[in-house]
Amino acid sequence: MLFFRSEDMVRQWCDARGAPVRPVVTIPQLWKLSTAWYSTRLQPNARRPQPDEMRRIFAGIGLSGDFWDPTR
Amino acid sequence: MDLDTRVKVAIYQWFAERATAPAAGDVARSVRASEQEAVDAYGRLRAQRVLALEPNGRTIRMAPPFSGVPTKHVAEVSGKRYFANCAWDSLGIVAAFREPGVVHSECAQSHEPLHLSLSRDGPEPCDWVFHCLVPAAKWWDDIVFT
Repeated sequence: MLFFRSEDMVRQWCDARGAPVRPVVTIPQLWKLSTAWYSTRLQPNARRPQPDEMRRIFAGIGLSGDFWDPTR
Repeated sequence: MDLDTRVKVAIYQWFAERATAPAAGDVARSVRASEQEAVDAYGRLRAQRVLALEPNGRTIRMAPPFSGVPTKHVAEVSGKRYFANCAWDSLGIVAAFREPGVVHSECAQSHEPLHLSLSRDGPEPCDWVFHCLVPAAKWWDDIVFT
């Protein structure tokens, strides 16, 4: 899970490793993921999102498809 | 609060206050349990994907979003510098504290440095991107690689 300066940098990085290019996430989308995952993490009742919650979180910021399905 | 929850809370409090991972003895003292009881709780928390442990089963590698080892992803909050497990977790640390922060990282391809300021409402405008190679269903198959 890495930062890249641009989508072209993602392609270069993947090409160099023979790896598939996956869906690219913008920084505003990543912030929404981060708050959904971690904004309560320092509280005693914190817990990691379960698969159905994960799907809703991903879908809520426009991330869908098999790649983002936590059970496929 | 049951032992596993007390252990989890103690680990996260330690990370938040000291920006390092606690040793098993530190956690045991904090929750007034034996070191073995704390380590047994680690194993259960690992099974719940709350922690990632080193192969010895008693050293914390990850308490997401915190990293127990230095990485190239750093979140600076309230004057402390925290190592994050990955790009996502670097923003996650800022989100967890609900305070302004700065994320320091780099482009994985060009190594251009990233210094991203965040308020409580989110990051400043930024056209960098995030990329994850591993599908969501496989993240915890090898969470360190992910």
